[in-house]
Amino acid sequence: MQSDNVIEVKDLKKKFKVYYDKGNSLKEKILFKSRNKYEERWVLNGISFNVKKGEAIGLIGHNGCGKSTTLKLLNRIIYPTSGEIKMKGRVSSLIELGAGFHPDMSGRENIYINASIFGLTKKEIDERIDDIIEFSELEEFMDNPVRTYSSGMYMRLAFAVAINVDADILLIDEILAVGDANFQAKCFNKLREIKGKGVTIVIVSHSLGQVEQICDRTIWIDKGLIREEGQPRKVHPLYMDYMSDTTLNSHQKKEEEEEKTTESEEVQNENVVEENSPRDIGNFDIKITDVQLIDVKTRKPATKFHIEDQMELQVCYMRKNKNIKKCEFGFHIFRSDGLDYYGTNTLIDKVNSVELKDTGKISVVFGAIYLLQGEYKIDIAFHNDLGLTYNHRYNAVEFEIKNYYDEVGIARVTHEWIFNEKEK
Amino acid sequence: MMQVLEELFNYREMIFSLVRRDLRGRYKGSVLGFLWTFINPLLQLAVYTVVFSFIMRAGIEKFYLFLFVALVPWLFFGTCLSGGASCIWAQQDMVKKIYFPREVLPLSFTISQFINMLLSFLVIFVVLVFSGVGINLVALLYLPLIMFIEFILALGTVFIVSALTVYFRDFEYILGIIQMAWMYLTPVLYSMDLIPEEYRSIFKLNPMTPIIIAYRDILYYKQIPHLETLLQASILGIIVLIIGFYIFGKLKRNFAEEL
Repeated sequence: MQSDNVIEVKDLKKKFKVYYDKGNSLKEKILFKSRNKYEERWVLNGISFNVKKGEAIGLIGHNGCGKSTTLKLLNRIIYPTSGEIKMKGRVSSLIELGAGFHPDMSGRENIYINASIFGLTKKEIDERIDDIIEFSELEEFMDNPVRTYSSGMYMRLAFAVAINVDADILLIDEILAVGDANFQAKCFNKLREIKGKGVTIVIVSHSLGQVEQICDRTIWIDKGLIREEGQPRKVHPLYMDYMSDTTLNSHQKKEEEEEKTTESEEVQNENVVEENSPRDIGNFDIKITDVQLIDVKTRKPATKFHIEDQMELQVCYMRKNKNIKKCEFGFHIFRSDGLDYYGTNTLIDKVNSVELKDTGKISVVFGAIYLLQGEYKIDIAFHNDLGLTYNHRYNAVEFEIKNYYDEVGIARVTHEWIFNEKEK
Repeated sequence: MMQVLEELFNYREMIFSLVRRDLRGRYKGSVLGFLWTFINPLLQLAVYTVVFSFIMRAGIEKFYLFLFVALVPWLFFGTCLSGGASCIWAQQDMVKKIYFPREVLPLSFTISQFINMLLSFLVIFVVLVFSGVGINLVALLYLPLIMFIEFILALGTVFIVSALTVYFRDFEYILGIIQMAWMYLTPVLYSMDLIPEEYRSIFKLNPMTPIIIAYRDILYYKQIPHLETLLQASILGIIVLIIGFYIFGKLKRNFAEEL
C-alpha cells in the first residue's frame, strides 16, 4: 500500500444472486426447488481507484450503477466476489442514522447506544457527549424518551452522533437531506471542518451540487465500471450530457430522428473539444446566444481586470419556446483550478424572475470584483423555478484578475484599520 | 481469531449498551417493571410447589427445590437455544447497514440472558434459606465456575443457531421442539438414577447433563460436585464454543446479503 493512500481498491468485482422468488423456509427450499432459480447479476465489473489522505471523493451514477454497492463494500457490510480493498484507519459511516435507538429511552441514553455501535468506548463518548448535544440543538429534550421526538429531532440527534465519531475515513450515502435548511448548512460546515482535519471522505450522492461543494474528485460509475474520473467540474458536465441524452432518446426519439444528421455531428464535435471551452446542456427552449464581460469604466468588452475594477456580465438570449414567459437566471464563478468561488441566482437573491422577450439581454453588474490574482471562469444558466434547465453553459466566459498588491488568499475581504482609538 | 477478539474488545461499549438496552427495555411500559425479573421465577416456583407437593408426589424430598435449582439454569440455556436463534435476524436493519463485529449480537444476547439467570438465583438463595435447606458455603464456591461453563456452552449454541437461522428461517421454529425434547432428555425433572444403566453413557454426551448435575449437587445436595462432572462439562462446553465460533465466522460474511 502506498504511504499516502488511505483507500486502495483494486479490480473490485461483485455479483449478487437475484432470486426470482426466494423461498426462505425449509419447506419452500425442498418442495419448490424450481422457485430457487436465480440469476447471477454482476453489479461491479472491476473497478480500481485510490484515495489519498484528506481527499474527498464523490461517487455518482444513475440508479443501479453500483455506487452504493461500492460504498457497502468499503464499509465491509458485504464482501467482494473478487478484487481487493485496503483501508487504513477507523472507518465510520453515515449510512444508517439512528441505529439501535430505543424509543423508550432518553435522548442521552440513546446517544450512548448509538455511538457505541460505531465502536466508541465509554470514555470516548463521555468526551464527545457535549459536542453531540450541542450539535443536535436538543439540549432541553435530552432526558425525554426518543419516542416523544419529532422525526426531524430524531434525525438531528442521529446525525449529531454519527458526525461526531472521529473517524479517519467517513463514508456517506445520500444523507444530507436532514432537517431544515439551517441544520443542513450546519452539517455541510461540519463536513468541511472534518475534511479540513484531514479526514478522508467518500460520498455517494445524486446531488451534483453537494458533490461539487465538498469533493475534490468525482468518480462516475456506469454499469459497474468507472466511466470517468476527475475534477467534479470536468466530470459533471459529461455526466449531465449523458443523462439528458438518455432521457432524450427515450422521450423524443421521433423528433430526434429528423435532425439526426446535423445534431449527431454537433454532439461529436462537442465531445472532441477541449474541456475548458464552453459546453452547453439543457433543452434549449431558451438559448444563450452571446456572453461577454464589460469593463464598467470604459464600457468596452474586456477579459483582464484589476482587483478594484468594476465588471459587468452581459448575456444575450433567444427564446425558442414562446410559451415560457418567465425564467430564472444564475451565474457561478470558479477559479481556473476548479475552486468554487461564488454562485447565486435570481431565486436565491429573491429578485423578480426574468421577464422574457424573443431576444433579450441580461446584465449582472459587479461592484469591485475583489478577487485575487488568477484566472477565473463563469458558468451561467437559464432555468425555471423547479430546476428544469433551459440552457446551462459551462465555462461561458473567462477573465483574468491582475493585482499589484501582495494580498494572500482567494478574495479580498473589505476591511479598515483603526489604530489607538481612544476608548469612550 | 485474535483479530476478532481484539475487535470485540474495542466494541465492548456496544456490548454493554445492548445488554443494558435489552434489560432496561424489556419491562418498559409494564407497571411492575423490573420487578418482573423476580416475580416470574417466584410464581413458577409456586406452581411447581402446588403441583408436585399436592398433586403429583414425586417421592423426592422437597421436590419443588430439586426441580427449581435445575430449572433456572435450564431456562437460561433453553432461552438461548430458541430465543437466540433470532438475535441476528431481529437486528437486520443494523446488520445490513453498519459494520461492527457480528459476534457482538450473540454475545450481548447471551450476556443479557445470563444476567437474568443471576437475578433469578437471588430468588433461589432466598428460598433455600427460608425452606430450611440452607447453603453450603464451600460448595457454593463452585457455583461461579459451573455458571461460567454454562455460559460458554450457551454462547457457542447461540453462535450456531443465530447464524443458521439467517439462512433457514424455519430453524427458529424447529428449535422450539428441539428445546422441549432436549429438556426431557436432560435430568431436569428427574434424577440420573431413573435412567437405565445402558443408556447413561449416551446421556453423558449431552453437554447440559453434567451442568445440571453440578448445579443440583451444589445447591440441593449441598456437596462439592465431582471433578469428573466438572471436567466433562468444561470439555463439552469448550468444544461447542469452538464449533460455534467457527461456523459463525464462516457464515457471517454473507449475512447482509442473505437478510
